[in-house]
Amino acid sequence: MRAALLLATSLLTAVPAAAQTTIGAIIPLSGASATQGEDQRRGIEIAVEEVNAAGGVLGKPLKVIVEDSGGRPPSALDAAKKLVAVDKVPAVIGEYSSGITLPMAQYLMQEGKIHINAGSSSNKVRQIGPTSFSVIGLEAVSSRFSAVDALAMGWKKVVVIGPNNAYGHGMSEGFKEEFEKIGGSVASTLLYTEGQTSYRRELQQAAQFKPDAFIYSAYGKDAALINRESFELSVNRTPWYAIYFTMCTADSKPEFVTGQYGMDLNFIGANGKGYEEAYRKKYGMGFKTSFSGYGYDAVKVFAAAANKAGSAEPEAVKAALMEVGKSYEGATGTIAFDADRQRMLQPYLKLRRGAEGMEQR
Amino acid sequence: MFEFSLHVATIAALYGLLALSLNLQTGFAGLVNFGQIALFGCGTYGAALAFNNQFGPVVGLLLGLVLVSLVALFFARLGRSLGSDYWGIATLAIGQILLTIATNETWLTGGAQGISGLPQLFTGSTRLQGHLILFSVTLALLAATWWLFHRLTQSKFGLSLRLMREEPQFAASLGYDLDGLRRSAMLVAAVPAALSGFLFAHYMTFVGPDQLFSTETFVVWTMVVIGGLGSHAGVVVGAILTQMLFAAVPFAKDFFALPSEYVAAMRLTLIGGGLLGFLLLRPQGLIPEKVGSIRG
Repeated sequence: MRAALLLATSLLTAVPAAAQTTIGAIIPLSGASATQGEDQRRGIEIAVEEVNAAGGVLGKPLKVIVEDSGGRPPSALDAAKKLVAVDKVPAVIGEYSSGITLPMAQYLMQEGKIHINAGSSSNKVRQIGPTSFSVIGLEAVSSRFSAVDALAMGWKKVVVIGPNNAYGHGMSEGFKEEFEKIGGSVASTLLYTEGQTSYRRELQQAAQFKPDAFIYSAYGKDAALINRESFELSVNRTPWYAIYFTMCTADSKPEFVTGQYGMDLNFIGANGKGYEEAYRKKYGMGFKTSFSGYGYDAVKVFAAAANKAGSAEPEAVKAALMEVGKSYEGATGTIAFDADRQRMLQPYLKLRRGAEGMEQR
Repeated sequence: MFEFSLHVATIAALYGLLALSLNLQTGFAGLVNFGQIALFGCGTYGAALAFNNQFGPVVGLLLGLVLVSLVALFFARLGRSLGSDYWGIATLAIGQILLTIATNETWLTGGAQGISGLPQLFTGSTRLQGHLILFSVTLALLAATWWLFHRLTQSKFGLSLRLMREEPQFAASLGYDLDGLRRSAMLVAAVPAALSGFLFAHYMTFVGPDQLFSTETFVVWTMVVIGGLGSHAGVVVGAILTQMLFAAVPFAKDFFALPSEYVAAMRLTLIGGGLLGFLLLRPQGLIPEKVGSIRG
């Protein structure tokens, strides 16, 4: 019965393919990074609704075929081949983890399709090739900002804590490089295995260095545990500084994170505020991670470029993306591409967690 | 559509090699290997390390084979002192240790960021032609491995492997050299797994620790269980079916206009449920092992 209903609704809602502009997205909806992937999907969903409410792309409704990568490189490549060879999309958004983004984008580039990176911050993304764009600032951009910010707080010696994955490696190495360039020192870098039941050992180890501050970045559940245990061990008497603050504190109890410093994406700009409200209205909560905004901006930037080009063909969109990407007001702030088509500017917020919530410093 | 099918078929054949390898260990020799992906990883990292140090694919292939032989011998060595279930746990642990090394020894392996930019092995006049050659080579390898394993398991060696699986103490009392059997079985089984990894690495153009999570071992296990433990034809069919199922889910989603987030869960349910269903209802798999088919 349910299957029949589903089939009936699908037939009713099905729009002939030619009557819409279709692009693809490959994100992790299952597997270890499903939380971030689901958040990217939410951003994409809101963007598609807004684009279509404003008349769609080239006068036709926009459709984004969202495929699950499962966090597995082979599945992501399956999905990319399907989108290119079967659905014949001109552009694909994705993925999240750089180990998947790189091979996937390499394939898209060979096929001459547009790739829009909305989640990987590895500097290697820069080398993919002439049809690959990033709406997320790569490591170099965010680490420079947080290094300068941390030194300005008066901290000279810090310990960096992050997950032992591609993101954590990139974040910690990038931070160390930038921080030491401007005269700070990183006493130690602790990369923890995700999903542990306790991080006391790591925290005690980190505390032994007696740093001026801890610089950390962690995903929801891990971050919640780290924050709780650092509170219990009184390690939080030393200042804590979070890279992507809302992601680090989303699942944490307020009393454990009050007093922390950090940086996060700027959702305060003219477009960001509206997006934040749309997200809250649709999903009944604040941002789960920092990644929904990139999914949103990726779709919006594509739509703007295709409308400007008057075509959804990759070559035309590519040229228009460079044009639009001179200065585009996205939800995550102004998006401007450098010569390598990577986002060079990203306004971040300097924040502090007060008793009442986030405060701007 | 042709290009997509070619891709699915290539991946299926690469998984077929892994399934044949696991089946020789588990289905015939009774070596319950939960670290199968480590053998595959020797192939991928062999290719990647050679590439990273400016050596050609031939060196990568040889390096992969050397690595996999060492790991296989180590696995076999462990088998001397451990019962089969404990051995299974130990293989899982070794897989994890190798994964940890791949993640953390950044100077050697590129760490969590991996090594990217590996060249395609075969470049025809068009990319499709290159892909066709790769598929033919993979298919030929699969057929050769199948034939070889079939011959091996039909021989006296195969019979002794099965005896070791069923009654290890009895086999030992008859004078069979169990250590030697285990060593040979592991070495022979490791080669196609490493070859699969080597081809996969150049096909994906990227090698990283994400490819070596233990869940990948269980994907291969699913294929073997569905196909039929102890049957070469069975496990190849299992690999093809599972890969086709993986590839078909996105089309089912488009056809029924299902939301993507349900589809992700559905794929997991299909794999997990399918495995459970087979274990409960048809533990011998689609094509069961033929007992008494060897004259030795």
